[in-house]
Amino acid sequence: MFRWKATAALTAIAALALTGCAGGGESDGGTDSGRADRLTLTAIVGPTSYDIGQGAEWGNRSAFFQAVFDTLLMNSATGEIEPWIATDWEYNDDSTVLTLTIRDDVTFTDGTPLDADAVVASLERFRDGSSPQAATLAGKEFTAVDATTVEISQDAPDPSLLSILTKTSGLIQAPSTFDDPNAATEPIGSGPYILDTAATVTGTTYQYTANPDYWNADAVKYDNLTINVIEDPTATLNAIKAGEANGAKITLNDQIPEIEASGWTIEANELDFQGLLLLDRDGTMAPELGDVRVRQAINMAFDREALLSALQAGYGTVTEQVFPTSSVAYDESLDSTYGYDPEAAKALLAEAGYPNGFDIDMMSTPAFQTTFDLVAQQLADIGITVNYTDPGAANFIADMLAPKYPATWMALEQNPDWQLINFMIAPQATFNPFHSQDPQVDEYISTIQLGTEDEAAQATKDLNAYLVDQAWFAPFFRVQGTYAVDANTDLEMWSVNAYPSIFGFSPKN
Amino acid sequence: MLTFILRRLASGVILLFVISFLAFALLYLGGGDIARRILGENATAETVAQRAEELGLNRPFFVQYWEWLTSALTGDLGRSWFTGELVTVGVSGRVAVTLSLVIGATLLSAIVAVLLGVLAARRGGGVDAGVQIFSLIGFAIPGFLIALMLVLVFAINLGWFKATGYIPISTSVVGWLSSVTLPIIALSIGAIATVAQQVRGSVIDAMSRDYVRTLRSRGLPANSVVYKHVLRNAGGPALAVLAVQFIGLLGGAVIVEQIFAIPGMGQLSVRATTLGDIPVVMGLVIAFAIIVVVVNLLIDLAQAALNPKVRLS
Repeated sequence: MFRWKATAALTAIAALALTGCAGGGESDGGTDSGRADRLTLTAIVGPTSYDIGQGAEWGNRSAFFQAVFDTLLMNSATGEIEPWIATDWEYNDDSTVLTLTIRDDVTFTDGTPLDADAVVASLERFRDGSSPQAATLAGKEFTAVDATTVEISQDAPDPSLLSILTKTSGLIQAPSTFDDPNAATEPIGSGPYILDTAATVTGTTYQYTANPDYWNADAVKYDNLTINVIEDPTATLNAIKAGEANGAKITLNDQIPEIEASGWTIEANELDFQGLLLLDRDGTMAPELGDVRVRQAINMAFDREALLSALQAGYGTVTEQVFPTSSVAYDESLDSTYGYDPEAAKALLAEAGYPNGFDIDMMSTPAFQTTFDLVAQQLADIGITVNYTDPGAANFIADMLAPKYPATWMALEQNPDWQLINFMIAPQATFNPFHSQDPQVDEYISTIQLGTEDEAAQATKDLNAYLVDQAWFAPFFRVQGTYAVDANTDLEMWSVNAYPSIFGFSPKN
Repeated sequence: MLTFILRRLASGVILLFVISFLAFALLYLGGGDIARRILGENATAETVAQRAEELGLNRPFFVQYWEWLTSALTGDLGRSWFTGELVTVGVSGRVAVTLSLVIGATLLSAIVAVLLGVLAARRGGGVDAGVQIFSLIGFAIPGFLIALMLVLVFAINLGWFKATGYIPISTSVVGWLSSVTLPIIALSIGAIATVAQQVRGSVIDAMSRDYVRTLRSRGLPANSVVYKHVLRNAGGPALAVLAVQFIGLLGGAVIVEQIFAIPGMGQLSVRATTLGDIPVVMGLVIAFAIIVVVVNLLIDLAQAALNPKVRLS
């Protein structure tokens, strides 16, 4: 008798569950608003804080911020700068003052108006806070000239200013929330969506509803937006196969064939390069790296095509330069400067005084073990012995920037030129931890900042060629950044960010 | 009985202090540059230093622990360094999710394991061999593999259940069932194997006791002997095993929650520990410790209810 009751109960539970096989990803079915009901996306990280002074970030976190906040300017899919909250912008003659015209028809979702004062307050909030890119606005002053005019003043021209105003530095948060400790999880902006805090599980599931008063209603294609943070690539693949999302960020390119077999479409760009950063160019920690011939020999040690196919299943493009293809500095011919030539590398090492090679300390981390094994093997082939230390995944970047190692493997973002220069080349750049400085490099950088547009373009080209020649880096390839969308969804991919613009998604008819 | 409960609760409180101090010390020692970790590779050294200052990371260890402890005693566990969420809100929300998985798995494994254990003990022969083989398989196959197979078959191919995510029972009962059924089954298999073996052994042992022979000789129905008398005696050890299983399942939930992308304590533990999100890890440690203390207390009470002899000790 007992068994029968148990069986009946289990059957009832199963039956209930069977009727509940609802996926989360249906986006078909129009509504009164003429929009599709819901867009469900997966992301690999959630926002650290919605307070722009604390956690504003772009890259893989951009969608969370873009949903609730507007930016001053907007990037087109191809990376051109377009009007958004600022409808017009103009530099003075020496490019030290940028004047922006602000829309007069925008309100925050708490009802307060978005005016020049609110823009200035947000810019100051970001500049004075400790968000990852707060330094991009360092030294700049902001003035509200009148209700719709904002001036940004700076001591020297900043060729990346317009570009950064399309990203984190240009986010506008309602100043009324600046003193609210809950601003970290309860954002108030003027963006296309409003965060539904009751239905949101911080760090895991973010639910948004369309902002009924959005100034650019035509750009909003869905009544609801869900972003699920799924860190595990297998779980992401399961969500795709089970139809529980409309769009997903893919981190393992070898999953691509399986994703395409599920009827999904792959959209791609190439933003990051992977390779060695030969940081100690003055040889203070590893004297060998101070010799340009050694750095060039290292560049010759790598069979880049083989690395790309082994590590990225062939998705990406081999390269020997750190500037992206979208840059004026990019020169395809530079990508075959060194090539794979272990014999020539050994000869060059011998010429530099290291006929028997040398030992070098580098970091490893278990998540990329195959990469580290292959790097060590290829360097061993020319006589360089790598001694790896695993600092723990969480300390990898901190130790790199400390700096505790003369060279390291790394994947780095390829930003627009001026940002890239200030990110990995200029003497004080974050990824120039030994502060390598070279008069020739300084001269190019100065021309890029202060020269005319043509002079700056030429100097950027020359800088790139010079860095390749001086072997500041040993890049292997640009990785394909991959985003997948289901059969119900169209996506116009952003060429300039790791995560697509939320305005890039639209329902397929 | 009351002194017994009070004594256990008092030792639980001491345990909480010790655990919290050890956890804080371990996190502090393994700390590294947390501000850099929070801000990522794009931040400059100045910004990193500013954030470290804001979070008070530059202060000595004991000052930081004392501050955490005094705040915690007032119920303020701080905010996550990586999401800005109040730790009390984040942890309590996830405790409910994980407990629903673990309690579900405990109930399921208790029911199935008792049925299988009794069946194997009474029938013997082929049935016994079948249960033994099932148990061996349950032991041998890792939980995550079972979880992956369940997702593949029942969520992806058949579409009966959700492959990822969690729907609160308050939103939809059916949705909740479709999101927790597979994780609960994945969690249960190992526990069923263990507890079924325990029940089988205890029942076989009890069946050969004198009192069973006496009961039988009085003509009591076999089912009544087994379910009313034998199980009552065999229940104690099985309950102890089940309690250990329950605490083990909390650990198992870590993997299962990752695979099913379920926002529970397990998923949060992995994330917070890897990142070094000290406020969240401390909140989780406290929550886990309280659960373990309470479960042990409940088990002791249940043991006492089942077996009067326990009450005397």
